[in-house]
Amino acid sequence: MNFTKNLRTNVRTLLAAPLDAAPVQTTINGPVDQWLGAVVIALMGFGLVMVYSSSEIFATVTRHDPQYFLLKQLGYTIAALGIIAIVSKIDYHRLYKLTYPVLFSVIAMLIATIAGLGHRGGGAARWLHLGIINVQPAEVAKLALIIWLAYSLAKKADRVKSFTVGFLPHLLVAGFLMLLCLKQPDFGSAVVLLLLTFTLLFMAGAKIGYIMGAILTGAGFAVLAVRYSPYRLARYVAWADMEKHRQDLAYQPFQSVMSFGSGGVHGVGLGRGLQTLYLPEAHTDFVSAIVGEELGFIGIAALSLVYVVLCARGIRAALSAPDDFGSYLAFGISTLFALQTLVNLSVALAILPTKGLTLPFVSYGGSSLLVNAAAVGILLNITRQISVPRRVAEQRAGEDATPAAASEMLGAVD
Amino acid sequence: MRNLDPVRAKWIRVRVGVLSGLMAVGLGVVVSTAFRVQVEDAAPWRALAEKQRQRRLHVQPKRGSIVDRNGVSLAVSIEVPSASIDVGELIRGIEMPGDQESFLRESARMLSKTLTLDEVELFAKMQGRPRFLWLKRRITSEETAALRQLGDPKRHTRPIRGIAIDGEGQRYYPARELGSNLLGFVAPDGFGKEGIELSLDEELRGKPEEVKGLRDRSGRLIFAEGTTDERTLQGADVVLSIDSAIQHVAQRELDAAMRTYETKGASLVMIDPATGEVLAMASSPGYNPNDYGTSDPEARRNRALVDRFEPGSTMKVFTVAGALAAGTLKPVDPIFCERGIYQLGSVTIHDTHVSEWLTPTQVLAKSSNIGALKIGLGLGEAGLYSTLRRFGFGESTGLGLPGESSGVLRPKARPWFEVETANASFGQGIGITTMQLAMAMGAIANHGKLLEPILVKKMTDSAGKILRESHPRVRQQAVPGHVARMVADMLVAVTEPGGTGVEAAVPGFRVAGKTATAQKVDPLTGKYAADKFTASFMGFVPAERPRLVVAIVLDEPMIGRYGGDLAGPVFRRVAESTLRYLGVTPTASTPRIAEVKQGDDPAGAALAGMRPPSVDPNSSTGLPVEPVPAGTPSVEVPNTTRLLARQAVISLTQAGFVPRVEGIGRIVRQLPAPGTLAPKGTTVRLVLEPPS
Repeated sequence: MNFTKNLRTNVRTLLAAPLDAAPVQTTINGPVDQWLGAVVIALMGFGLVMVYSSSEIFATVTRHDPQYFLLKQLGYTIAALGIIAIVSKIDYHRLYKLTYPVLFSVIAMLIATIAGLGHRGGGAARWLHLGIINVQPAEVAKLALIIWLAYSLAKKADRVKSFTVGFLPHLLVAGFLMLLCLKQPDFGSAVVLLLLTFTLLFMAGAKIGYIMGAILTGAGFAVLAVRYSPYRLARYVAWADMEKHRQDLAYQPFQSVMSFGSGGVHGVGLGRGLQTLYLPEAHTDFVSAIVGEELGFIGIAALSLVYVVLCARGIRAALSAPDDFGSYLAFGISTLFALQTLVNLSVALAILPTKGLTLPFVSYGGSSLLVNAAAVGILLNITRQISVPRRVAEQRAGEDATPAAASEMLGAVD
Repeated sequence: MRNLDPVRAKWIRVRVGVLSGLMAVGLGVVVSTAFRVQVEDAAPWRALAEKQRQRRLHVQPKRGSIVDRNGVSLAVSIEVPSASIDVGELIRGIEMPGDQESFLRESARMLSKTLTLDEVELFAKMQGRPRFLWLKRRITSEETAALRQLGDPKRHTRPIRGIAIDGEGQRYYPARELGSNLLGFVAPDGFGKEGIELSLDEELRGKPEEVKGLRDRSGRLIFAEGTTDERTLQGADVVLSIDSAIQHVAQRELDAAMRTYETKGASLVMIDPATGEVLAMASSPGYNPNDYGTSDPEARRNRALVDRFEPGSTMKVFTVAGALAAGTLKPVDPIFCERGIYQLGSVTIHDTHVSEWLTPTQVLAKSSNIGALKIGLGLGEAGLYSTLRRFGFGESTGLGLPGESSGVLRPKARPWFEVETANASFGQGIGITTMQLAMAMGAIANHGKLLEPILVKKMTDSAGKILRESHPRVRQQAVPGHVARMVADMLVAVTEPGGTGVEAAVPGFRVAGKTATAQKVDPLTGKYAADKFTASFMGFVPAERPRLVVAIVLDEPMIGRYGGDLAGPVFRRVAESTLRYLGVTPTASTPRIAEVKQGDDPAGAALAGMRPPSVDPNSSTGLPVEPVPAGTPSVEVPNTTRLLARQAVISLTQAGFVPRVEGIGRIVRQLPAPGTLAPKGTTVRLVLEPPS
């Protein structure tokens, strides 16, 4: 079509400058993707409801305050909305300069956590005291890796196909982050980091052969990691034979599946779930089990649909982002949400062995919610920058636009 | 990617499509699994979840209370916290066996320190990882608080989980020794031992019921499902016919008699002759059921029911009644009493008081064995036996309390020989219980009707619904009503001057009674011991319209021996207090106490019986018993009527008397009257009334 051709020509001209050039300032004030914003706010609201429903008894028993987790999560949600608003206003190209500072500070935090400054919880050191809040560095690491990969892959462009320049460095950085996560130990986050790396490498055009080789090697390492860690091996064995271990190591997944099952088609109703009495961490990693119990299959299917919308809007942003960096960033963030959701639901349904992964925007937890909010902020900013040129281009297309006129016009907007 | 060349952009699009497809497949797996779990397999999962939630609780109901007829608590159950632990919950989440071991050891150390337990023993018990382990039963509130702190996640980074503190019922007897032998006690396992606690154990414990409840992970009950039958939460409450005020007096006087006369034991039963309700049932020595573990098992026996004794002369009443009913004796028949010695076959029978001709009334008043045996033999073996049976001897009274003896009438399970009949007619050679004695005397008081004793007035469930109520029931007509009336009149002579039971006379009332001083068989020789006696007294008052029947049995007194001397005063004091308590007005024309002026004390005559030394030993109708505390110097009772109560007590105490203050206000009356001679140690009653 003439229109698409024109558009493409215009934008190619517009962003012909090298990728590390000064960010384009012109399009910041465009409208955000309203679907994306609405879905995220809806998920956070739903998260508040489910956190309350699943934590009320636990909070009463342990803190003598039924609203303890609800109020904390409400605070995080307000902060998350602020972060989304602010980050969506900041041009995502500014992340260019922040890429390495972010990456190094995350590595520092991970090392500090492992080194014993961390706060232990559930047999693992995953939290780091930072002033008033406890941060889970692994959550931050996921976003930091996405930013770094997007930056690096966009910069390397076609050289991604080469092994030494395009493939190995990314795998090494990701591998290092994974190693730090495994040390905590946080197997789930490590797996997510690895999958994110492969996804973005594949998207950017790395050779399939390298990726397959790396996947096989990674799988081999994963098997070894499981085999030679008694804790993981025991978990795996318990998962494989859940019926037998339902009272000990497979207690959590077994109770989780029981929650889903007792929900049936329609669920028992909001706030009426009783599995919260049995399911440990019902408000964090296993909140989906309570959703399944209280809202039934219909609730789970609807929730899945909402996540599909979230990811679809993210992928749409990736496909129409103004540049490679934006594309990789948007797709990486979408993949992060998708992976977290899929792994969380799979664990809750005992398709996968237990990993400590949250359900994005719904599970209780400050680190996860704030990092995801920042990610959504970036995604929204990308959507701001695709809509304006298109509208400008549409206007221009009607007036027999020339590349020069387009840049003039954009300059005028600025 | 609009900046890319179309070919590369196209391939990126394709790869994004591939990746999205993979994620869609992942979502498909998740949703289809959810469908399978939630739609296809929902029912079994739901059943499993419900099963795990529901806890079948064996609710141990709170043990019912035992109260007296006025609702005064005699035995109540209180909740005392006990601590248990779920070791499975304690180590949940600790993966490594080594870590579990060390955490168990650490927990055992902290718990044993908090509850002062043996650490090694506790650790050994926790090794088995039981889901339920008693840590300590009946913990103090300090220990409860300390335990709660151990389990508080705010205070400890690794709190001790799985501690449960539950209330456990503990039996408490607020009145302590009062009625202990009757009530029995409850063992730590919750089962009643002895007495009412045993005989009504099932009702008191209530029905442990399975209640469906909702439980949490550690098995604790969150709330019970549905409406729980309130009855399951508490056992039945038992209302006794006992009046604790009367019981208290009875027990106090019995204990005093036991100490004074150094008896081996003593028992007392008081019944209401009109209904058969047991108003008091005391047994000495008693014990404190709150601390029954330290008591002598001997002291826990309810002597009034369990102990069988040879009654002696009290049986003469029933012999006479039987003979009168059978017509073998006329009330005016004179009986020759052989001047105190009578040979029956190879056996010689003596009378304490040598007499020649006596009327049946005098036979009873002077307690002539020879007279009684002649009446008994006149009645015949079968007649006497059936008479005693009709008065309820030889079978249990039907109280249903554990260990009740039915007594023995024919020890060899064959009809009596003549000597045995003669013995039985004055109460030797047979065995009865204090309870039987009281019931039989009750029949005399109640127009010849033998009632079933009532100890449990009613039982109510926790909602107040009456489960069981006792109503007076006549067992049988022991003797015709007019005979009983006649015997009752005869028995008044016993407590009148010249009778053996003057000590039992209650001022202002006509008392029908009978004393007994029975010989006891020495268990070593099998023969009657020369120095072992059972002193007893039975009586009712007022004689013309009886309100209460009391039987008192003192076993083997070391000081004194005669029933009239030893058991008589117990009867007088108990009956006097009880009559006042019940508000029974004296039948004799005794002016109101307030109107009595000092010096002219009309009640003094009636009270003469209370003052052994004032009785002229040379009088023709002289008391048939030796004066009590022989050898104690008599002194003049000081006048206290113008003194303040406190000064009166001091002056009486200095003179060697035991003051007993009744009422409040000014001293209006003093008994014994001022100036009379009384042995040191005599109780002097000071009647106080508020100034009008």
